[in-house]
Amino acid sequence: MARKTRKYSEDVPFSLTSMMDMMTIILVFMIKNMDAEGQLLTQAENLILPISTSKVQPKTVSLTVVVDANYVIADNEKVVPTADVIAQEDLLVTKLDEILKDRRAIEQEHALKMGLPADEAGNIIVQIDKNIPYDAMYKVMATCGFSGYTNIAFAVMQKNGGEE
Amino acid sequence: MAKQIKKPGKVEEPDLLPAMGLFTILIPMLLTMTAFSKLAIVEVNLPERSMMNLDNETPPEPDQQALNLSLAITSDYLVIGARGGFQPNVYFKEMWTFRCKSDAKLVTYAMDDVKATVESGHGPKCKDGSEMDKEKYLYEIETIELWAINKESEEDPGRVIWALYSNGGSAEEPAADSAYVDGNNNFIALPGEGTLGLTPPPALKKPAAGVALATLTPNSARTLKPDVAAKNIIYPLSAYDLIAKDLIAIHTQFIDLEDVDNIIIVANDDTQFDKIIQLMDRSKEAGFTKINLAKLGG
Repeated sequence: MARKTRKYSEDVPFSLTSMMDMMTIILVFMIKNMDAEGQLLTQAENLILPISTSKVQPKTVSLTVVVDANYVIADNEKVVPTADVIAQEDLLVTKLDEILKDRRAIEQEHALKMGLPADEAGNIIVQIDKNIPYDAMYKVMATCGFSGYTNIAFAVMQKNGGEE
Repeated sequence: MAKQIKKPGKVEEPDLLPAMGLFTILIPMLLTMTAFSKLAIVEVNLPERSMMNLDNETPPEPDQQALNLSLAITSDYLVIGARGGFQPNVYFKEMWTFRCKSDAKLVTYAMDDVKATVESGHGPKCKDGSEMDKEKYLYEIETIELWAINKESEEDPGRVIWALYSNGGSAEEPAADSAYVDGNNNFIALPGEGTLGLTPPPALKKPAAGVALATLTPNSARTLKPDVAAKNIIYPLSAYDLIAKDLIAIHTQFIDLEDVDNIIIVANDDTQFDKIIQLMDRSKEAGFTKINLAKLGG
C-alpha cells in the first residue's frame, strides 16, 4: 500500500490572537500599576525600609541621608561607617554635620537669590534600614536637627505595596 | 439551470501586526513608569535650633493640666506614661520572621533563640534544613513581631496571648492583619497553653459567619461574611495592638486638652528602627499627630 505523504506546501498562517491576549493582560496590569505622578523618592541600595501604614508622599525633592548596615551616606557620598556612629559617645556626627551645614548654606543662598525666606527649617529625608539600632538613628537625627534640617521625614515602604 | 450554491468563504483574521507593534512600544514605556512597591514618608518635627538653646533660663513650670503622654519601649515591655504616672506594662516576646533564600519559605523564631543559635556558631535554620548566613542574618529579618504575654508577676515567664485576627496573607502563608474586638471593645483573646503558652487555647474558637465584630479602626463594626469568617486566623496577639487600643482610649478621653495630639516615643539604644516606625504608625492612627522621639535614660 502506498504511503500517504504529508503535504508541506500549504502555508500555515502564524496566529497572533493568543499573543494579543497575553499583551492585553500585561498592558492592563501595567496601566493599573502605573505611577503617573512619578516618584520624588527612590529607595537607596543595600537597605530594607520598614513597612508602614503611612501614605504621605514627599511634596518636594529633599536632601536624602541613608543609613544602611555599613555606612551613613549623604547626597550619594559615603560619610562615615555606621559602626563608628554607634560606637561614638557624642550625639553629633561631626563629618555628617559638616556636609549638612554646607548643603544648608547653599540652600539658604539659593533661597535668598530666589527672594524666598532663608531662615525656614530645612527639609530632609532619612532612609534607614529597618534593623538599624535606635542609637544610630537618634544620632543621625540629632545631627540633622543641629545642621538646620529640623523637618525630618523617615522613608518607609507602604503596606501591601500601597494598595487599598 | 441549477442554482450555484455559494461556498462559505474562509473567515479572514484581522491584521493584528500593527496592534502588536503598538503594544510592543507601550509595554516597555509602561514598565519604566510602573511602581511595584510604593514609598512614603513618616514625618517627625524636631524643635528649632533656637528653641533648643535655653540660654540659662530656668525651664518653664510643668503644666499641671497637660497630658504629657509618653510611650516607652524596652527589650521586654511597652508602657504608656502620662502626668507622671504609668499604665501597667505590656510585656512581649520578640519574634523574628525570616524568609529563607534557599526555599523562599517563612520561618519564625524567638529572638533569644536566634541569638543563642548564633552564639553557638550556627545560623538560624530554614525549613529545608539549610542554615542562614550567621554574619548577615540580622539583615534578612522580614518582620519583627512582638507577641503580647500574660504575666502574673515580674518573675513569671508568662504565657503568650492568642487572639482572633483577619488574614492579610494567603491560605498557605497566613498573616495576621487586624485584631478583632467584641461589642465591649475587648480583644477576642485567651492565654495559650503548654510551655510559655505557645499552643493556641482550644477554648478560643473562630466565630462563625453572621457574628458582629469590629477592629480597632473607627466605624469598622461588621457582620462576618462566610468567606471572611473562614479565612480568619487564631494568632498571637500583638503588643502593638494592645498599646494601640490604649492610645485610642486615651486620645478619646482627653480630647479637650491642648497637648492631646502630642506624644513622645522613648526607646532603648538597641531598639530596631522598625519598632519605632510601628509605634509611630499606631500613635498616628490613634490621633497623635505630633510625634517626638527621646532616648530612654538619656
